[in-house]
Amino acid sequence: MQTGYSIIAMLALAVLGAVTCLLLSRPRQILGTTVIVSALVLGLAAYLWIGVLGAGFVTAAEEWFYVDAFSAFHLIVLTLVFLLCSVFAWVYFSNEAGEHPFSRPVARRFGALWLGSLAAMTLVLVSNNIGIMWVGMEATTLLSAFLISLYPTRLSLEAMWKYLLICSVGIAFAFIGTIFAAAAIQSAGGVQAEALFWTRLASPDAHLDPTLMKFSFLFVLVGYGTKAGLAPIHSWLPDAHSQAPAPVSAMFSGFLLNTALYCIMRFVPPVRNTLGAGFADGLLVFFGALSIVVAAGFIVFQRDAKRFLAYSSVEHIGIITLGFGLGPLGTFAALFHMFNHSLSKSLAFCAVGRLGQQYGSHDMGILSGALRSDRLWGLALLGSILSLIGAAPFAIFMSEYQLLRAAVSDGAWVVLAVFLIAGSVVFVSALGHLIGMAFGDPKSPVAPSRIRLPAVVVVVPALALLLFLGLWLPPWLLDAIGRAVAVVGVHT
Amino acid sequence: MATSLATIHALGLLTCFALLGTSRIGACIRWLSLQGILFSLVPVLTYDDGLTLRIILLAGGNIALKGVLFPLVLLHLRARTNYHREVEPFVGFVASILFGVVALAVSLGLARELQPALSHAPFLMLEAAIFLVSIGLFLIVSRRNALMQVIGYLVIENGIFVFAVITVVETPLLVELGILLDAFVAVFVMGIAVFHITREFGTADVDQLTTLRG
Repeated sequence: MQTGYSIIAMLALAVLGAVTCLLLSRPRQILGTTVIVSALVLGLAAYLWIGVLGAGFVTAAEEWFYVDAFSAFHLIVLTLVFLLCSVFAWVYFSNEAGEHPFSRPVARRFGALWLGSLAAMTLVLVSNNIGIMWVGMEATTLLSAFLISLYPTRLSLEAMWKYLLICSVGIAFAFIGTIFAAAAIQSAGGVQAEALFWTRLASPDAHLDPTLMKFSFLFVLVGYGTKAGLAPIHSWLPDAHSQAPAPVSAMFSGFLLNTALYCIMRFVPPVRNTLGAGFADGLLVFFGALSIVVAAGFIVFQRDAKRFLAYSSVEHIGIITLGFGLGPLGTFAALFHMFNHSLSKSLAFCAVGRLGQQYGSHDMGILSGALRSDRLWGLALLGSILSLIGAAPFAIFMSEYQLLRAAVSDGAWVVLAVFLIAGSVVFVSALGHLIGMAFGDPKSPVAPSRIRLPAVVVVVPALALLLFLGLWLPPWLLDAIGRAVAVVGVHT
Repeated sequence: MATSLATIHALGLLTCFALLGTSRIGACIRWLSLQGILFSLVPVLTYDDGLTLRIILLAGGNIALKGVLFPLVLLHLRARTNYHREVEPFVGFVASILFGVVALAVSLGLARELQPALSHAPFLMLEAAIFLVSIGLFLIVSRRNALMQVIGYLVIENGIFVFAVITVVETPLLVELGILLDAFVAVFVMGIAVFHITREFGTADVDQLTTLRG
């Protein structure tokens, strides 16, 4: 199948781009390369998405690569967020001077690791083999660790070590879960060629061993959940997000967490087939709700803007996980929410990062009066955080509303109450932080900065898209998300 | 076959207790190397159809990485970075050994639980795999030195290797290579990280890494 080649082309482009970055000598060329490669990969992902929506699924390399509506939707979100973050990286690093100059070695390291992470995340999303999916996931950890400590300071090294160790152990647990799944396929008489293939694992007549699948899902949930930032195993997340350079934090929150959640969701259909819907859904709802509550508790006390956004990511990942556990309606809301959150959160990290460069701090007390000192990024901060706390008419309001409907139709009243209470706590405390940051008086005079084209390219389309999707969900997108739901959300 | 597996099992448990009770990092690295070599032999002993090329590659690659290369990397790092040669545990050695005893009992129970579902897996190795993972986790949380945490991670890796070998008879070679490659890169990345940390903090003690909280 011809569209299958675009899968291989995406991977090849990202890897080639990463190697090219190591050879280029000027930082601007490297940043330009990352933007061009991201744009091309986005184009390929869109082409693939259209192919998938037409044919149902696309395979390549003798079914080692398999893209269906669920992974194609994730690919679109990934490549869109990645392009946004790459353009922002151009803006951010062009303004980086003084203590941390964006020198040639730093630029090369950044370009190679950045595009390498893109390749690894793409590999996770397109692999049919759950072993290769795991390899890709582990590769994202190893590649992105040095993105956190791009400038090796004490704090960034501390954050990087925590990230590396906690996530490596988490991913090791996910591997144990993968082995359990492979053992289940084998005990059901699977042959070697298709052992570990997701298509085999998820087929309704797989007849997998229930005990093995139960252990498999527990290990996968805890393992990949560590990387996704689900409470109580999220402890690396606020540190890594606050210490990484802003484009990296934007990418982490914008998509890396979703990649891990994607891996968990790949295990849900086979677990539902063998153990019934209750087991997996109950665990998803529990961890989702717990993450929302824990994050809400921490958000109240945050002073650092990036840590605040990091805990907000824990909250939103919790919301998405919760949605995945609430039936087809909830899964729809979760996927829509994932898109909205990725876009809002990466924009928010971009805004805080850029403003932080001008104010010289990420402390929310110091970052005040952003709208006056920098109209464009101040607007981006205001819009993205309003969107994140679920203010109408932004798209997150719509997805959270759909999630509430799913909870009501599922009769999950406890979950509904937890979600509403924690949501209100976050809303009030985040609004408090936001009003100071956006409308307060600047503590020290900050020179108003000129509005430049690349920054406009980041801010305006993202905000416009969030507003647009909040007001109207086009039927074709509705249909595309609906098909993604059908891949993982079918109850038996 | 059964007697050689029992020997590996006994010696393997010994290396775990040695790791829990040894105070010098250099000695720990050597115990880790022995453990890596011991458990690399498991695929050779458990597969019925004898020595195929795949099994030789798997066992040989594993011995080369976990028995030789990783310990060399760790010894090199210790020489380059570590001013303290002691393990410096948060939890004392006697308490650590006691934990090992408890973990062994728990592993026995869990292995008995799992045995019916994994009928073709040798019981002793199943138990050893669970025990290795729990000891590795314990070393990571109870030791202050970053190198000891890497050692703990590798003990977990050993456990996972044993578990994979005994439960999944036939995984595609490509996947196995990917997994070995990941372990390989992980150790190097962790090594570089330890090096940077030592240069910046003047020590590899992770209890210095406590600025980021809440």
